[in-house]
Amino acid sequence: MSPDTTDALLLSLRVAALATALNAGLGIPLAYVLARRRFRGRGLVDLVTTLPLILPPTVTGYYLIVLLGRRGWLGGPLYQLTGWSVAFTWYAAVVAATVMALPLLVRTAKAAFESVDRDLERAAYTLGRSELRTAVEVTLPLARNGILAGLVLAFARALGEFGATLMLAGNIPGRTTTVPLAIYTAVQTGEDPTALLLVGILTALSCVVIVVANQLGARAT
Amino acid sequence: MTDRLEVAITLNVPGFTLDVAWSAGSGVAVLFGPSGAGKTLTLQCLAGLLRPTAGRIVVDGRVFFDSAAGVNLPAQARRIGYVFQGYALFPHLSVAENVGFGLRDRPRAEREARTAEVLGRLGLADLGARLPRELSGGQRQRVALGRALAIDPALLLLDEPLSALDAPLRRTLRDELRALLHDWRTAAVVVTHDFTEAYRLADRIVVYDAGRVVQAAPRSELLWQPASESVARIMGVRNVLHGTVVKATPDRIQLRWRGQLLEAVNSPSRSYLPAADSPIAFFVRPEYVRLIRKDRGAADPAHHMNLMEGTVVGDEDFGTTWSLRIRLDGPGAPAQGAYDVEVEVPHLVYEILEIDRDRRWQFSIHRGSIHVLPA
Repeated sequence: MSPDTTDALLLSLRVAALATALNAGLGIPLAYVLARRRFRGRGLVDLVTTLPLILPPTVTGYYLIVLLGRRGWLGGPLYQLTGWSVAFTWYAAVVAATVMALPLLVRTAKAAFESVDRDLERAAYTLGRSELRTAVEVTLPLARNGILAGLVLAFARALGEFGATLMLAGNIPGRTTTVPLAIYTAVQTGEDPTALLLVGILTALSCVVIVVANQLGARAT
Repeated sequence: MTDRLEVAITLNVPGFTLDVAWSAGSGVAVLFGPSGAGKTLTLQCLAGLLRPTAGRIVVDGRVFFDSAAGVNLPAQARRIGYVFQGYALFPHLSVAENVGFGLRDRPRAEREARTAEVLGRLGLADLGARLPRELSGGQRQRVALGRALAIDPALLLLDEPLSALDAPLRRTLRDELRALLHDWRTAAVVVTHDFTEAYRLADRIVVYDAGRVVQAAPRSELLWQPASESVARIMGVRNVLHGTVVKATPDRIQLRWRGQLLEAVNSPSRSYLPAADSPIAFFVRPEYVRLIRKDRGAADPAHHMNLMEGTVVGDEDFGTTWSLRIRLDGPGAPAQGAYDVEVEVPHLVYEILEIDRDRRWQFSIHRGSIHVLPA
């Protein structure tokens, strides 16, 4: 393997792992709230979370630039204050992968939370547990397999992210070139063996993900 | 005796209004009525799982809810044992962990001792390590009871505690549950739509219909004195009939029905005195109608009150009893479709009297067995 290929693989794994961790931290509480609470703006939150699943990834990437770019709503003030921008760094790849993977986790985890019998939570309340403790001790363990399946899917989605990453992080070898971008570059420049190797690795990983997700899904029911 | 439990609440949910007020002493109060009458909603309000629109809930002098005073104790602070329909046992926890779930704030040794005590009293001592899915229906019911009783609740709530069980088991467990509730001496509120179950378990029965309480009374009073025809129908009382008042005194009510002059005992406690010629509803329990034996000579009108004669037009075998549908002689349409009165006789009587061959019968109803239903 060439150094560039190794870099791409390591970067992809690092990005996907971080994006999955961020998904767990953001997506699991979000899925619980969407499944169990009724509040104003719930529909809007659901819509915004789901959009990246439906939109072309380049459109999502464009929105991310509008939000986080050097002249973005959030990125602009940050750049003026610190001279640093997330755009075209490997953090941008993490942000893009996180946003693109979030709907998969949230939708799977929300369905898993909704499948937990509400009487079990009510029973815990009458036995003195707060809502938070009930969520941790009762709802979460019973929704565990569905949530894990969602995390596996999110990891796979993050690993394969291309469009939004290209928009926000660019394609800088050794810094933001993840495996899907490396495959694109390899094909463009005629490096067929590199492309084939990376395609093979991603295909194998995807097969593993499908098997694991299916097994978790089967145990959840 | 002071009431341990006072409930007066309204609750508006889309498409349904609950508006109930009742009280109960120690012992078992049963909320009885058809599905969708608001019984489970009441339990959820009692437990603090649902907030009433307005009203007041007091248990043993503790105010759980008072909309006027702005009091609404959270479910966690009410110390109420709730046995859910289907039991809602935590499927990922063992029997012992389920029973000990509400004891988390106690020291570990005390928690374990209490769990062991409850498991022992309920005959579950050997099952502590099992998971709920490895238990039979009856064992699950006891675990659910144990989990609710372990916290030494001020009040025990049971929602259709027997509905998850097979028919043969229901009868056994109904009696087991009855013994258990009396044994633990915890005030309890039980929800059921089965009158036999309600009667077996209750000290006091509160009858629900369409979000309202239509009667609240000790169980025997309810059995013999339903407050109205609609209460009688909710209870599944058979032979609810309609006649016309001839004369009403504090002791007796004379009435005309299907061309017969009948005499009923008036309830002295209620002194129901309808005007002559007004319509009146009454009921006769099928097992309280006496067939006149033909081998004992002619019926004596002085001894056999409310004597009538008719033909058995249908009969059904219920295993231990036969139900006979009798149509009276005389003109006019029968009171209940094809027949006037349903009569229930034990199998032995049916065989001795050879009712399968002999279809013509005289029968009498004691005036104490004709129960007048106030309008």
